[in-house]
Amino acid sequence: MQTSFSPDQLADPHVAFSESILRRCVHCGFCTATCPTYVTLGNELDSPRGRIYLIKDMLENGRPADAEVVKHIDRCLSCLACTTTCPSGVDYMHLVDHARAHIEETYRRPFIDRMIRALLMVVLPYPARFRAALTLARLGRPFAPLLKKVEALRPLGAMLDLAPKSVPPASRPVAAAVAAPRRGRVAILTGCAQPVLDPGINAATVRLLGRLGVEIVTPQGEGCCGALVHHMGREEAALEFARQNVDAWMREIDGKGLDAILITASGCGTTVKDYGHMLRLDPAYAEKAARVSALAKDVTEYLAALDLPQQPSQGLTVAYHSACSMQHGQKITIQPKLLLKAAGFVVKDPAEGHLCCGSAGTYNILQPEISAKLKTRKVKNLEATKPDLIATGNIGCMTQIGSGTGIPVVHTVELLDWAYGGSKPAKLG
Amino acid sequence: MTAALIPATESEAADMVRDAGAAGRRLAIAGGGTRSGFAGGQQADAVLRSTGLSGIVTYDPAEMVMTARAGTPVAEVEAALANNNQMLAFEPIDHRALMGTDGEPTIGGVFATNASGPRRLSAGAARDSLLGIRFVNGKGEAIRAGGRVMKNVTGLDLVKLLAGSFGTLGFLTEVTFRVLPRPQAEETIIVSGLDDEAAAQVMALSMALPLDISGAAHLPESVRGRFLAGGLPEGPATVLRLEGLPASVPVRADKLVAALSRLAPLARLGTDDSRRLWREIRDVAPYADGTKRPLWRVSVAPAAGARLVADLRLEAGIDAFYDWQGGLVWMRMEADPEADLVRGMIRRHGGGHATLLRASDASRAVTPTFEPQPAAVAMLSERVRASLDPAGVFFSGQMGEA
Amino acid sequence: MSASIQFLKPRQDILSRRATIIADLLELLPPDCLVHEPRELVPFETDAFVSYRRLPLAVALPETTAQVSAVLKYCHRYGVPVVPRGAGTSLCGGAIPQEDALVIGLSKMAKILEVDLVNRCAVVQAGVTNLAISDAVGPDGFFYAPDPSSQLACTIGGNIGMNSGGAHCLKYGVTTNNLLGVKLVLVDGTVIELGGKHLDAAGYDLLGLVCGSEGQLGIVIEATVRLIAKPEGARPVLFGFETSEEAGACVADVIGAGIIPVAIEFMDKPAIEICEAFAKAGYPLDVGALLIVEVEGSEAEMDAMLAAIVEIARRHGVKRVKECQSATEAALIWKGRKSAFGATGRIADYICMDGTVPLSQLSYVLKRTDEIVKGFGLRVANVFHAGDGNMHPLILFNANDPDEAAKAEAAGNEILKLCVDAGGCLTGEHGVGIEKRDLMRHQYSTADLDQQMAVRAAFDPQWLLNPSKVFPLDGRPAI
Repeated sequence: MQTSFSPDQLADPHVAFSESILRRCVHCGFCTATCPTYVTLGNELDSPRGRIYLIKDMLENGRPADAEVVKHIDRCLSCLACTTTCPSGVDYMHLVDHARAHIEETYRRPFIDRMIRALLMVVLPYPARFRAALTLARLGRPFAPLLKKVEALRPLGAMLDLAPKSVPPASRPVAAAVAAPRRGRVAILTGCAQPVLDPGINAATVRLLGRLGVEIVTPQGEGCCGALVHHMGREEAALEFARQNVDAWMREIDGKGLDAILITASGCGTTVKDYGHMLRLDPAYAEKAARVSALAKDVTEYLAALDLPQQPSQGLTVAYHSACSMQHGQKITIQPKLLLKAAGFVVKDPAEGHLCCGSAGTYNILQPEISAKLKTRKVKNLEATKPDLIATGNIGCMTQIGSGTGIPVVHTVELLDWAYGGSKPAKLG
Repeated sequence: MTAALIPATESEAADMVRDAGAAGRRLAIAGGGTRSGFAGGQQADAVLRSTGLSGIVTYDPAEMVMTARAGTPVAEVEAALANNNQMLAFEPIDHRALMGTDGEPTIGGVFATNASGPRRLSAGAARDSLLGIRFVNGKGEAIRAGGRVMKNVTGLDLVKLLAGSFGTLGFLTEVTFRVLPRPQAEETIIVSGLDDEAAAQVMALSMALPLDISGAAHLPESVRGRFLAGGLPEGPATVLRLEGLPASVPVRADKLVAALSRLAPLARLGTDDSRRLWREIRDVAPYADGTKRPLWRVSVAPAAGARLVADLRLEAGIDAFYDWQGGLVWMRMEADPEADLVRGMIRRHGGGHATLLRASDASRAVTPTFEPQPAAVAMLSERVRASLDPAGVFFSGQMGEA
Repeated sequence: MSASIQFLKPRQDILSRRATIIADLLELLPPDCLVHEPRELVPFETDAFVSYRRLPLAVALPETTAQVSAVLKYCHRYGVPVVPRGAGTSLCGGAIPQEDALVIGLSKMAKILEVDLVNRCAVVQAGVTNLAISDAVGPDGFFYAPDPSSQLACTIGGNIGMNSGGAHCLKYGVTTNNLLGVKLVLVDGTVIELGGKHLDAAGYDLLGLVCGSEGQLGIVIEATVRLIAKPEGARPVLFGFETSEEAGACVADVIGAGIIPVAIEFMDKPAIEICEAFAKAGYPLDVGALLIVEVEGSEAEMDAMLAAIVEIARRHGVKRVKECQSATEAALIWKGRKSAFGATGRIADYICMDGTVPLSQLSYVLKRTDEIVKGFGLRVANVFHAGDGNMHPLILFNANDPDEAAKAEAAGNEILKLCVDAGGCLTGEHGVGIEKRDLMRHQYSTADLDQQMAVRAAFDPQWLLNPSKVFPLDGRPAI
């Protein structure tokens, strides 16, 4: 597509990079068809092609963001279904990242919006604060219907709805015994929200890998991957989280060495794998970040390489929900299903598997209406496969889908742990 | 007897139309006249005949395309095609026996009446094979539309508009159409003993199989004896045709037999008998009875045909058989056309249309031949007609009438 | 931006009444269904013919028949031009707006209303995508046959507007052959139905006329389409040749031998490389031209037909024959082919031609196309539906270089004229739009075009519907 930037504009490396992305788009429109918001709202402005055009117009004219542009960029789930579909290889992810940063720099959001975002940013990435907030949320739940009556306060209502009825006690994954022979040494991202909402996931990972002869370390100093603030356009804050994690992992890499950095929430995985790009302009970190990104792997990606033996039938049908960050962000599509099949489960693909469940980080809080529609659609498709349980590889999806169905939702790795000698996931009763 | 104008060239035809326009005379368009009698024409001042514009212009078998002047006899076209193992895929009906006419059907007449046979179901109608035309409009201008290639969206599709317009929009002088390889083998499976409703279900079930069925008709007991000189097995016959390569037809026929064998007794017809049977179905043989008893050609959704006939039987004396999986109903009335009854019932069965193909002069005088259109569509049709023939030179009969 | 194609001059009286018009439209539509903020209009300024752009007056995204009717009635009353839009995937600028026009987008009317397997048809709203129909009926063993490469995104309403084709129409025909009925809103807001579930519509073939009319006769809001039982099996086979000429001659001979596969697709070397890079479908990279030939039916039938095709291909010196081994591989082969245009975006900007030629002219036209494009100092990639002679040369250029853009356009015009002169036509399945509008006189005489315009005016006497498209701006009737 033709672009119109001045040499001055192109001197900014961010603009130059976005220009190179825009040049690839031929405006064919394929992306509209697989975009959850276009499918839901039927408006080009809420499609990837529409957003690309809005961003192009904003950047070319060097304009600050305005309410209209912000509305449509905010509605983007960053599910990246468009990048899977795009034949031209348009790097929508980095384009919309740029747009979000541009919005944060140039646009002042309405007061309540700012407060809610600030609240999310100071709470979610920090496990202790998040745990405390969830406990408070239980007290606040009766107010949810009231909050939802006021347009601007709907996110608060959504937040209360999503908060689990009970919060598991704080725990760090206990280092499990590592069986011989030793097959590797890996770090595991502890992360932020997942260990609060469901510490069982990383615990299962540690147990399973231990039995498989893989040593797991959780270096001091790592924490939130930064995705949360990154998707809110807080570029500097995101880079700070990234640098912190890079430092933590580099100490291990330079120490006893790491074969991989495992991530059990695919949303975080997409971001860690992008550290190399995010920090490319930081001379002190560019190289280290690239090394970290190269080592980052989803837990199923790593397990797939371990060649696990075929287990007898479990007599259970699993509907596999591929998280967007898994299938579109990291292009991991087949491995989790092969692992589940090898573990003895019957695996079903739901219709419209490419569509987002509406979780998308904080999307279900910030855009509750669209999110709810997507959740209903997703649950309907999942339930249509008549599964005994639903498996997925991302905590956000688990919370979202779990709030819409009575069918148990578990992490893929919990089922694998169970099938290969671990205990039955508590959620399965 | 109205005077006949028989131009030898397109420009002569254009002159004749212009002259008629200037003189305020109305022309009825005709080819061989074998399909006449149902689109009117008696009230015109003269008949403009295409028979002087005859002959195949180009035929390239490798391209599967033929161009012929409108007055070329269908027999000549089909003979040329047969020499190259090709055919008109849409199996144009020969109306002569049915309508009691004689003379030579012309290729222009085929397209002007969109005359399509049993393969309509799989290969489309005449209009689907028509790629390009030349015609003279009501202003006496020679117009070209379409071309000679299959895929063509260059401008408005006047080709489709003229196809099936019964000579009311323009005088076709030349037609270019797609032809297909003639199937080397064919076989018909006969399912015996089904009533109309059960037959509709069996035809629907068969058409849903991946067997590429190219004909699906139901011949109730009342007409069964009039096909193949009484050679079909006892009981109503539901007939399904398979065509194609000699290696493939028997294989598909076996599969069809396997799918249907528990439903009813089955029989099979080989290539020659099958060809004869479908020709008779195409030409509505049972009702080519030398009478003027009213005959309707009814087009409805396939599943609606049998129910429509059943409901009509409660109120009038009719005999009927079905083609196009039940969607084309040939219906002969015992006495009156009962147009209001027939057309009202079609509307109650999900819509469609009925054409009064044959009737006594007295019935015809009081019965619209073509399905009356809703007012908005009729007005639009009239504006379209006027855009081709503003002065009304061509006798418009009853096309597009409200 | 290229500038050689003109649009109608915007009507000042409409532009000056913009605020009133928008206020009035907001009375007829819910707020979510009218886009009118200037910034928000920018993404609607073009379609997939991205060389040309015009901002619309506003964009209506109606949700109901009543809304479409009310909006058209309003526009008709006040003389506001209207540009219909489906998914905006037109390669000829069919959905590009103009400054004084209201875009009516059908993207919110995207429901499959009824699937009727007994009568083998589906009733869908105009905004339903082409592929969604096949997806909906696939589990029951049926499909909707026309399959334009953009079928993932393009809508059935747009398909009807352009009489879209696709790879498989060699056997199954194009949209007009698979369309049973439409619900159409006329320019004055009147809603009419043409055809239905029965095979032949009554009266004049207005349905046939509407199909391919590029939104100039009315706005299609619903369609009844024919469904076909899926064949027992389908197998695409790759035939690699040294030269494009050999491949072209092979196609003509296959058809000439009375063999009609479901699809014969052609790719030249640049196209093979582009598609392989995206789809990793296993296309041979050591050949000069590739045919994807798909046969279908039972195993025995496919074997028999393939054997005959292989024999013909050998006579034309085929270098590689590759049968695909699995459904996954077949899907990748088609994914690569259908993504060809978009994938070209990885290496360059392009404009895509759509002329159709008689098969006997295929080799000659390919050769001349290459010469023409080279003559302008540009590159070309060819990927198209060879079985029906529908060519798609992609002229590659740099859109940020105005000189190259102008050359690409000039080369395209030469190629299209070549197609007409070779006995073909300007456009096989993409439509005329604005792109080929000024070439119409190369294919048609004044009388031919006048007649088409007269028929058009019977539907839309004021020329309000998609007015800048299809017919050359000079020589139009006075309104």
